[in-house]
Amino acid sequence: MQTTHPGPSREPISLSFPRIIPRPKSEYGIWSWISTVDHKRIGTLYAVTSFFWFLVGGIEALLMRVQLSQADSTLIDPEMFNQLFTMHGTTMVFLVVMPLSAAFFNWLIPLQIGARDVAFPRLNALSFWIFLFGSLFLNFSWLIGDAPNGGWFGYAPNSHVAFNPTNGMNFWVIGLNILGVASIAAGLNFIVTILNMRAPGMSLTKMPVFTWMTFVTSVLIVLALPVLTVALIQLQVDRLYGTHFYNTAAGGDPVLWQHVFWLFGHPEVYILILPAMGIVSEILPVFSRKPLFGYSFLVFAGVAIGFMGWFVWSHHMFTVGLGPAANSAFAISTMAIAIPTGIKIFNWIGTMWGGSIRFSTAMLFAISFIAMFTIGGLSGVMHASVPSDAQQQDTYFVVAHFHYVLFGGAIMAIFGGIYFWWPKATGYMLSEKLGIINWLIMLIGFNLQFAPQHWLGLDGMPRRIFTYAENMGWENTNMIASAGGFLMAFSVLLFMINVVYSARKRVPAGDDPWDGRTLEWSISSPPPHYNFEKIPNVEHRDDFWFTKHPELIAEYYHDEHSGELTAPSGAQFDEDAADEEDEHAEAHAEEHHGDDEHGHGGIHLPDMSYYPIILAAGLTIVGAGLMTAVPVIIIGTIVLLWGLLGWSFEPVNDPVPDSH
Amino acid sequence: MAAATGTYEIKNEHGEVINTSTGLSNKKLLMWSFLGSDVMFFGSFIATYLVYRNRSLVGPYPADILDIPITSVSTFVLLMSSLAMVLALSYIQQGRQKMGTFWIFSVVVLGAIFLLFQVYEFNHFGQVGLTPRTNLFGTTFFILTGLHGAHVTLGVLWLIFLGFGSIKGSLRADNAIDLEIAGLYWHFVDIVWIVIFTVIYLISARDVGPPGSVPGLH
Amino acid sequence: MQNWLTSSKLTKLALPVLALAATLFIAACSPEHPQSTFGYAGPVARDQGNLFLLIFWIAVAVFIIVEGGIIYIAFRYRRRDDKIPKQVHGNTKLEITWTIIPSLVVAAIAVPTIIGIWEQQRGAPTDMGDVLEVEAIGHRWWFEFRYPNQEIVTANELHVPTGRPVNVKLSSQDVIHSFWVPKLAGKVDMVPLNDNLVWFIADEPGIYDGQCAEFCGIAHAHMRFRVIAHEEDGFQEWVAGMRTPPVPFEAGSAEAQGELLFATNCKTCHTNDSWRQDAYSLEIQQQESRWNTWLDDIENSRLVSAPNLTHYSQRHFLGSGIKENSRENLIKWITDPDSIKIGTAMQAHAAAYQEREDNKINLSNQEVENIADYLLALEPGDISQLVAPAITGGTPEERGEQLFVSIGCNACHSLDADTTIVGPSLIGIAGRAGTRTSLSADEYLRQSINDPGAFIVDGFTNAMVVPKIPPNQVDDLIAYITTLE
Repeated sequence: MQTTHPGPSREPISLSFPRIIPRPKSEYGIWSWISTVDHKRIGTLYAVTSFFWFLVGGIEALLMRVQLSQADSTLIDPEMFNQLFTMHGTTMVFLVVMPLSAAFFNWLIPLQIGARDVAFPRLNALSFWIFLFGSLFLNFSWLIGDAPNGGWFGYAPNSHVAFNPTNGMNFWVIGLNILGVASIAAGLNFIVTILNMRAPGMSLTKMPVFTWMTFVTSVLIVLALPVLTVALIQLQVDRLYGTHFYNTAAGGDPVLWQHVFWLFGHPEVYILILPAMGIVSEILPVFSRKPLFGYSFLVFAGVAIGFMGWFVWSHHMFTVGLGPAANSAFAISTMAIAIPTGIKIFNWIGTMWGGSIRFSTAMLFAISFIAMFTIGGLSGVMHASVPSDAQQQDTYFVVAHFHYVLFGGAIMAIFGGIYFWWPKATGYMLSEKLGIINWLIMLIGFNLQFAPQHWLGLDGMPRRIFTYAENMGWENTNMIASAGGFLMAFSVLLFMINVVYSARKRVPAGDDPWDGRTLEWSISSPPPHYNFEKIPNVEHRDDFWFTKHPELIAEYYHDEHSGELTAPSGAQFDEDAADEEDEHAEAHAEEHHGDDEHGHGGIHLPDMSYYPIILAAGLTIVGAGLMTAVPVIIIGTIVLLWGLLGWSFEPVNDPVPDSH
Repeated sequence: MAAATGTYEIKNEHGEVINTSTGLSNKKLLMWSFLGSDVMFFGSFIATYLVYRNRSLVGPYPADILDIPITSVSTFVLLMSSLAMVLALSYIQQGRQKMGTFWIFSVVVLGAIFLLFQVYEFNHFGQVGLTPRTNLFGTTFFILTGLHGAHVTLGVLWLIFLGFGSIKGSLRADNAIDLEIAGLYWHFVDIVWIVIFTVIYLISARDVGPPGSVPGLH
Repeated sequence: MQNWLTSSKLTKLALPVLALAATLFIAACSPEHPQSTFGYAGPVARDQGNLFLLIFWIAVAVFIIVEGGIIYIAFRYRRRDDKIPKQVHGNTKLEITWTIIPSLVVAAIAVPTIIGIWEQQRGAPTDMGDVLEVEAIGHRWWFEFRYPNQEIVTANELHVPTGRPVNVKLSSQDVIHSFWVPKLAGKVDMVPLNDNLVWFIADEPGIYDGQCAEFCGIAHAHMRFRVIAHEEDGFQEWVAGMRTPPVPFEAGSAEAQGELLFATNCKTCHTNDSWRQDAYSLEIQQQESRWNTWLDDIENSRLVSAPNLTHYSQRHFLGSGIKENSRENLIKWITDPDSIKIGTAMQAHAAAYQEREDNKINLSNQEVENIADYLLALEPGDISQLVAPAITGGTPEERGEQLFVSIGCNACHSLDADTTIVGPSLIGIAGRAGTRTSLSADEYLRQSINDPGAFIVDGFTNAMVVPKIPPNQVDDLIAYITTLE
């Protein structure tokens, strides 16, 4: 946490709440993970969990591709197909891209801003456990053969109980509401962390772009997820208790659902893509050995996208019949959002211009991100034009579009980020050879699958159909797309092989394998428990880079800020000194885990806790109870209260060592 | 600009000096961000209510059953609780424990009175035939005011917790921040009620159904 | 088809991704693309397609610049030595340039976009020909089509004339569907409680494929329909036919037996006599009450909203456009509908399917065949038996005008003084009618309607088909005709 000074000593508050379980102390094994509040471990948990769901979502996609590869196929029945595409969309959005981004937030934000943890470490753990339980709850529906089947957008009244009487959509509304709590808690945490816990000297204009994009994303999460929560509560009470929000027989308006859902749903799109943009903005400068081109424009464009994202939601509804005036307004706002997006793309290219580009796997993924995201952006402008969209809405053209944005964009960037930060997180390298093959096959497979889908859409193939007739002329194209899908799956397999292979080989990475620019590269790999022995003093953007290359400072500031240039203070340290300090810090850590920590002038980290997982379990049991029986709700509430009270009475740090 | 050059030093609840980039405590910043989130939550429900105004197909309609005078009283009670909250925080911050405790429990009592009014109103509406399943008005009214009531209930429980903390001495001037963020929450819930009161009771008190709908009670 | 091929050549150049070239090669070899958005068969689809192509070519230019730029820069600036490049971190002029240029490009796209929106989303234009008003209602999982002015109800096959704007009012009874005929116009959703409009013109006669484009449940993929465009004559003939009863079946024939079986097993949900005078308003009421019955008790209802089967033999397809309407398919459909199209309300609710374990129809094969024979024999009988629709509401002149169109008077009698179609133009007839015979204008017109052969105007022959029109409706018709100036 922060640097602390010994303050006026306080006698500990007497604990009136009975401590049923002792304060966790184990440093290894499963209990250390369950009770961890370390942002890096939580980041790892997020990464592993969401990668698992990535595989599940991918298998769902492959099953659909098998079904669609030939006309009039009967391999998968329509009910199953509906469940597959509903869960594929829901999984990829809520259980893969969002939590994978959260894994990066957790791992990197404290490291990039020079902090020792996030602002609320236990809340952070709570976010993860709620996410885990929520995702298990949602997917539990598969086991009882009743997965959600109303689409990831759950359009009323098709999702209403009269037209969808099975339990699937109940799993969906309750599961997503549980996940929403996790996202909001994490969003709040990162807002506070980024605003309040930056190292001395790191003004907002010196923050790494990834941190900036995380901040914008967190604000979007905190403001957009409640809107989804509202929509889900409305549908939930309709389905479970017979209210009328979306009951057309009582006058409930289906268009209202769409407004509420997309008012959440469009900011959600930026929640998915902005972290990816942040990742790419970190990778490109490192492998071009140049500062990011147009930092302030890039940041401003990111903020502008986050802001404008609130005024474009109705472009998902151009065929709903909102009237020409509303459609014109939303067409213009949607086209306008292409401008900041374009700025970002040009700035990324500008970053490469004049650089010294090294084609590492991470860089190749980042470059592919720009290339693929550009295609998705261009087809996006085609949808923004309402008359053109009338032929594209709800066809495979749209499927192709958003996969170019979300796979070609978000997932490519995330893979780039994995290759980029893997050495930092684990201390050893991923194989670059396998990595480049992984990249190449993924890029080819991806384009083979989704480029033809543009054509399918223009050829009149609607989305969400489980089959099509032979004479429609769609069969060969679908077959190609399916082949591409399997190629993509193979590339993911290669990635997993790479992970296993590299874990065996363990080629040490060193602290700074890529000649990095930001603070995370200034510490050891993997970073020590407490991150920074000494909280750094930040003087510049890309502070670590200029610490390594002080001769470049004058050149960097030459054109704009020549007057303000101040010599780097003595606070900076060179690598050797850092290494020494690391050793010193490790000694500290030993001490820290011993029995003395009170009033120590050095490092003060929050203790581990079981309560986050208890609270999360309670919340999920309550959710399950809403679908089943009141006693379950009561049990869940008791568990939840136990977690809440235990949490409240448990200080962040035990003032005196536990005597157990 | 301090944030650009260094950090603000503030004291945390344990009296330790900590550095933050904004000079606000983490907890306060968290609460403000959460309230921003909650604005979107209530905003969406209030918007839903407004969209469905005058669109119930059967009665009772707002014109049939809304009782402005009674609700005005409960609104006044809730407003007074905000005043009590201000006093409670001020006394705790000054270290005047007993007065602080008194005012914290005043907030609790006033909040509870507001909730009793709500229980009465829900019961009464149920008796004259308006439930969440009756019509769009019933659905939107009960869910919106019910969720607000849930927020008030949570606030009351939180303040009871803090009130006992004040008695035992674990809530004191140096960690008055804990009461301050509860206060922020409480004032917010109060303001939300002002909006709900305006939208449901004042603006739509004369609402009936659309043309052709079943007549209401009057 | 020719049209489609040329535009697909344009597309072929466009997405220079390796895979797409292969795709297009295969696509171009395939014989049919019934839902290609480039197979323009009318002005709305053409405008939409042209706007798409405009944006597309702009996108191609941007694509080449950006992707080319990426590849060029990646090679040009690849790492060759260990030197640290110049630490350029921005250029305000460049930044402003690449902010302004995209702004101008999107502005250029916004203008035709907004023009298109206002042209396409405000209902059919009145200056492009006589507008045909149609209502389309989405059901799970089929389309109902109503012609309010002709008082015709049909399902899954929408008949329209060529060269005239068709204004389709869209609504839905259950969930959201979408009305999409790619070759005629882009889609517009059918939203419960929110009526929408879409319009199109079919340039050429033909059968155009349409499909529901909003996910609507288990049989969404099978919710298809056709728009059948006729020349004006053919359309008027179809309209007249739909108002004409079939020839009665010989007692004891398979068809007659089928009729009986149909009446007992099918007719509570499937209306098939919409040619009757008051059938139109009755059908609307019945569809509504079938729907409400179902909604009241979704588990056990024996009534469901069902397609109108009037003159069923004229249908090209069954199961909402998914299978050819052959005797074999029809028998299969009646026996076990879900084997053709999953999720039919008929199999889930109709009494005839509830009595057997396997949910197949509880009738013998012979009985099913009889029903099929009956349905496949339903076609318009002698045109002279045409029944005028019962038109209510409005002034006599308004009712007369509607009747004039709905029974097809306008097919032969022009409303333009200088044009002769088959019969004489009726402009100014009020002045002439009293002078032709000894009868008053009113009586002369009544005679001409009831007995066209009584007096033939010079230069014309007696070609007029006489529909059955009740006396009060003849009054309405005369009231209208005498207003024609």
